[in-house]
Amino acid sequence: MNDRAIRLLRGESVDRTPLFPFILGFCAKNGGYPIASIYDDPERSFELQSTTHEQYGFDWGPIYGYASYGTWEFGGEVRMPTGEYEQAPFHTRFPVELEEDVERLTLPDPKQAGCLPLAMEFSRLQEKQGTPISIVCGGTFTIAGNICSVEKLCRWMLKKPNLVHKIMALASDHIVDVVRHWSTAFGAERVIPQMWEPLTANSIISSRQFEVFVLPYLKETSEKILAMGVKHMLYHICGDQARNLPLWSQIPMGEPGLCSFGQEIDLYNAIDLLGSRNVIIGNIDPKAFLAGTPDVVYNLCREAIEKGRSAPRGFMVSSGCEIPPEAPRQHVYQMHKAIVDCAKESGGL
Amino acid sequence: MDSTEAGTEILRGLAEAVVAYDEEKTVELARMSLKQGIDPGVAILKGLAFGMDQVGKLYETQEYFVPELLLCADAMNAALDVLKPHIKVEAQAERHSVVIGTVEGDIHEIGKNLVKIMYEAAGWTVYDLGADVKAASFSEEQKRTGAEVVAMSCLMTTSMLAIPEVIKAIKANDPDITVMVGGAPLNRELAMAYGADGYAESCGSAVKETLTALNRVKGAT
Repeated sequence: MNDRAIRLLRGESVDRTPLFPFILGFCAKNGGYPIASIYDDPERSFELQSTTHEQYGFDWGPIYGYASYGTWEFGGEVRMPTGEYEQAPFHTRFPVELEEDVERLTLPDPKQAGCLPLAMEFSRLQEKQGTPISIVCGGTFTIAGNICSVEKLCRWMLKKPNLVHKIMALASDHIVDVVRHWSTAFGAERVIPQMWEPLTANSIISSRQFEVFVLPYLKETSEKILAMGVKHMLYHICGDQARNLPLWSQIPMGEPGLCSFGQEIDLYNAIDLLGSRNVIIGNIDPKAFLAGTPDVVYNLCREAIEKGRSAPRGFMVSSGCEIPPEAPRQHVYQMHKAIVDCAKESGGL
Repeated sequence: MDSTEAGTEILRGLAEAVVAYDEEKTVELARMSLKQGIDPGVAILKGLAFGMDQVGKLYETQEYFVPELLLCADAMNAALDVLKPHIKVEAQAERHSVVIGTVEGDIHEIGKNLVKIMYEAAGWTVYDLGADVKAASFSEEQKRTGAEVVAMSCLMTTSMLAIPEVIKAIKANDPDITVMVGGAPLNRELAMAYGADGYAESCGSAVKETLTALNRVKGAT
């Protein structure tokens, strides 16, 4: 993490809005490597991300993680992205296919399970290079969906709620185990866990279902992680979760926490509900990078920066979800350009 | 209660049981409809499909979400299993047909499955290719089945790039095939730029949008 991001987390003034990276496959393409190298080769991944971040002015540090987390760790199978149109690792077999499989689920060993050895190797590089040790290991509901498939999870929410609660409890315990393992290795105060929750979008579940099946587990997980001495957690609230935001505001994420949003969320609403305790991150539409023009991306960034000025705990520009690997380089460059132009206009640089 | 009233009651009951995702009730009423001599096509159209249409509206207005929608579909499908064997062959021949799948590189099926449910509820014949479907497979399945519509979805911005390739393959074979697209990273403007004939923002509007596109394509030929 560079000084700018550190200063922001400390509540100090910064010379320009930090640029937070949600850019993985693009880094591989940018360096001339296959996308899989971001996920199956920690050393290469770290190098590719570092150089791309430097080139485009990102302020945080490389991360290791993907949205299908949980499938492999709980005993299923994932495949690394190798096809022309594949973006990230994806499940090929879920650990739970039948109801009785839920009873057989056990807590994975955070030292051995799934991608965690690769993630640990990556975090050793984060430690060595002094970047944030930000392990992606959730969120809880998305892990649950990656254990049994989102369709099964949805059906069971109404027909077999006890099965959902059992999976959610296991997913929560697993996240705590992983963060404890990372805290033991690096010191809790240096670990910044990231939880990505695309499956709680209101295009899938209602805010009432979020309240019953998700909120208690997120709260409990966060409280346990913060009690270990972790200072900051990042939640990526992916997709349209406008109806969930008042509930998200009940979840502790650290002092300050970090909250990133999909492009569907109005940043003023996010700041209003979560900005008093969290740094707000967001939320440039990823498809603008692909289908827009440099001007479109530039203007979206300026608009986000303008809205972000009212965030009491600070604001970082980022894409609303991963920047498409095939995005034209000129479009990605517009993020930094918009930030610098805004800073110059307001006397920051 | 005369037989007409009883029939109306059964049809209303079927629709209500679908909305209430009451699988036992839809099956019971489907059997009852056959005993009453109600044409199974009518039971499907005015009972199950009418109910599912209400479900689509409830999803559109965010009163229902995916869990409810899936269980409503289960209730409908359970009753369809009872009714389908009794549908007259000539009635089946009049159905619209669609080849559907998630494009290559994308394993996310839930959006596609929800749209499939809505097509089935509206009485369409659906040829589901599943997920991670190559352009050539869409084209081959359309040729094999003679479907008038090909519908495809994606969730990722990377797999979205496969869509124009699929459309090109389908249109090269037969430019009069109606192509529908949908999925989180898309919008109407992009869909049109990719060469699609229609776009549906969500499953609730998929059938309506498809019929509009289908009429436009047919009208132009």
